[in-house]
Parts: sequence; C-alpha cells; structure tokens
Amino acid sequence: MPAATPSDDVLLEAAIEYLRTELLPTLEGYHSFQTRVTINALGMILRGLRQGAALDEAETARLAELLGQDGSRAELNAMLAARIRDGELALDDAALRQHIRRALEEALQVNNPKWLKT
Amino acid sequence: MSQYADLAARLEAALTRHSGRATKVRDLARLTGGATKGTYQFTAERDAGEEKLILQLTTVSERTDPSVDATPRLDGTSDAQLMIAAARAGVKVPEVRVILDQSDGMGSGYVTGFVAGQTLGAKLARDPAFAGIRETMARQAGEALAATHTIDASTLPFLARQDAAEQVRIYTRVADHLAPDLPLLAYALRWVGQQVPPPTELTVIHGDFRNGNIIATPERGIEAVIDWEIGQIGDPMQDLGWFCVKTWRFGGAQPAGGFGSRESLFEGYEKAGGRKVDPVRVRFWEAFGSVRWAVMCLRKGMLYATAEEPISIEQCTIGRRIEEGLYDFLNLIEGRD
Repeated sequence: MPAATPSDDVLLEAAIEYLRTELLPTLEGYHSFQTRVTINALGMILRGLRQGAALDEAETARLAELLGQDGSRAELNAMLAARIRDGELALDDAALRQHIRRALEEALQVNNPKWLKT
Repeated sequence: MSQYADLAARLEAALTRHSGRATKVRDLARLTGGATKGTYQFTAERDAGEEKLILQLTTVSERTDPSVDATPRLDGTSDAQLMIAAARAGVKVPEVRVILDQSDGMGSGYVTGFVAGQTLGAKLARDPAFAGIRETMARQAGEALAATHTIDASTLPFLARQDAAEQVRIYTRVADHLAPDLPLLAYALRWVGQQVPPPTELTVIHGDFRNGNIIATPERGIEAVIDWEIGQIGDPMQDLGWFCVKTWRFGGAQPAGGFGSRESLFEGYEKAGGRKVDPVRVRFWEAFGSVRWAVMCLRKGMLYATAEEPISIEQCTIGRRIEEGLYDFLNLIEGRD
C-alpha cells in the first residue's frame, strides 16, 4: 500500500481546485466546456468518497426495514424493484414514498447537490 | 484549407451540382457533433454573392437495438422533408436548400440557411438580455406548436406512430432492460403506467420541442425551431408537456421552457388555432417527460459499456443525471413543483 497522506479525497480536492481556479480560466470553447464537465465528474467522485459509505449503509438499513428482510444493498434494491414492478407494493404507500424520496435526495447529494435547491 | 478540406471539397461539388452554378465553400467549421451527427457552418460563394449556410450530417447507425432504442431517429432526408413540411404549415424553421443524395458521397444530410440567434438554453432562460421577451417567447412556443400540429402527415409516410401507451411501454422496456434493479426508476415507470391517458387524436409532433432546440433573439424572440430528427405521429399534448419539463427550464424560474407561464404557452397555442389544451394531459406528459429524460440519461451513461461510442466524459456524466429527472417527477406527482 502506498503512502496515503494526504488521503484520496484531499488529493482529489487539490486536483479539482487546480483545474477550477487555474486551468479553466485559461481555456475557451470546446476545452473549456469539457474541463467544466470533468470538474463536475471529479466533484461527484469526491462527494462519493466522503459520504458514499455512510449513505449506502443508511440506505441498506432503510431497505431492510421496508422489506422486512436482511441482505446486501444490491440484493435489497433488486428485491424492492421487483416488488414495485409486480405491484406487490402500492405506489401511495407512505413508507415506500418516503424511502424513494430519501434515496433520490441522497443520490443527488453526491451527483448534483445543486439540484436539491432548485 | 481548413481541417475539413475533404468535406469542404465534397460539399463544393454537391452544392455546384444541385444548384447548377459554380459554388465555392470557405470557413467550414464544426458547431456541434457526436459520433452520429454533425452540424457545420460555412460560407458559400456563388456568382457575385456569398451567404452563410448550415450543413447537417446524420450517420444513421446500421444497427438498431429495439431493447434500447426508444424513438426512431429520422435520417437526413426524412428530417429535411419534415422541415419542409413544417415550413409549409407555417412553423419558422431554417430553410432547406439541398438534400444530399448518394452521388454526393457524404452520407445522409442536408444544407439549410443560417438563422442568427442564441440557442443555448441557459442564455434563453436566464440572460438579462432576454428578460423583456421571455413571456412573449412562451406564447410564440405555443404558436409554433399549433402550426406543427397541423403538418400534413400524408406526405411523411416515414413517421413512426406512438401514442402515450406505446411510449410508456417502450420506455419501460428500455429501463427494465438497462437497469432492472433500480427501485426509483421502477417506481416512476409503474406510476406513469397507471396514469396513461385515454386514446386521443394523434397529429404530427416535433417530439423534442424544448428550450435548447430553438433559435431566438432578444428583439424578436423565437426565430426558428430546430432538431426535428425524432419527429413522429403522437399526442399533440406531448409537445406542450415536454416543453415544461424542469430539466429544459435551465434554471429559469418559469415553467414553460424557463421563459414564461403555462398560461402564456397554452394561450399562444389555442389562439393560433391549436386544439383546446387539456391541462391534465399536458401534466401527464410533463411527468412522463421527466421519467423519459431519466431513461435517456441512463442510456447515455451506458453507451460506452455497449461499445457503441468511445468513452466520453460528457456522455458518462449525463448518466449520473438520472436522479434529477426522477426527483422532478416525484415532486411533480406530490404537487411540490
């Protein structure tokens, strides 16, 4: 294992900072656009590194409670998707609605937090 | 010579052949383009004069996969024919000058006049230069759609026919194929499946009528409607609903394209001879539109995985936008939009 100080998230944050404050202002047209998209993508990874594990854990616990069953996050999500598709869960079920909203909000916290404010 | 020397030479030959007059091409530059489509701007010199024109090239993929291809894409010839029919019906569109054919050796595509103006959605929705004309633009959008829905379909036999039930079926199939284990998507698709409106009279629709596919100026508002390549026969209310989908407001405060109120859009539509607007139906299409956009994001995010297109940061990050549409959908059905 290579040295991990500073940690991956700090390293990534430094890289994003360089791209955003130093490189981006010197670019225009195609490369300006692509670099902005790249900075966005790296931001998603950074937020995932910092919050992803805790969010996944919370989601898994919520899924287990909603479904009354244990399993991995992937297994439980597949099970929930199947139950929704097969009509076993009513779409206006309050617990289901709440789970869907929480899951969307948490995903947006990583992928695009600004969307939650619009 | 530009970096598109070969393309410029073919274009010169094509323009000369189609017009019967010697034509020179200069300043050929690519405006946008992915692997399947390219838009170029150039100047044509002919006789004593010159003018700016647009070249649209469409490479229709040989293979269509029914499990992931939701909406049939028109080839360049059909696209141009639809634009000509739209112009005849009174829609402002770039004037089609030449439809390329096989002997031009450039694949499928066409040449149109150049329409000056802004196309960037965020500018139209938020640039102060457009502040005074936005409400008018919402009305003009309604007028453009009213004319679009009078296009004579009998001259356009290539248009696919998809009503609400068919669209829901197709997008559900695509989503189930690409991401069967995503409860958020399964939820949204089941909801739209339960809310499909009853059959209605179908007309020619644009299919992708939204901010981003129009050219506008601060002085006169909408100058042209572009990107007709997924035109089809469908529910006219679909175009009105898609125009209001939150993603296409580009951060603008108002629902209709980010420009104006739904009332202005509907009023423009009805006063220009459109059908009576059915707000409930429009609302369904707006909800479905957000789900449709989510499925489109999913598809784009997976293009590299199916090796259809080389990996690209732009396409990949669109894949990560899937929750935006689903979140908008949820807010809409809960009346929180």
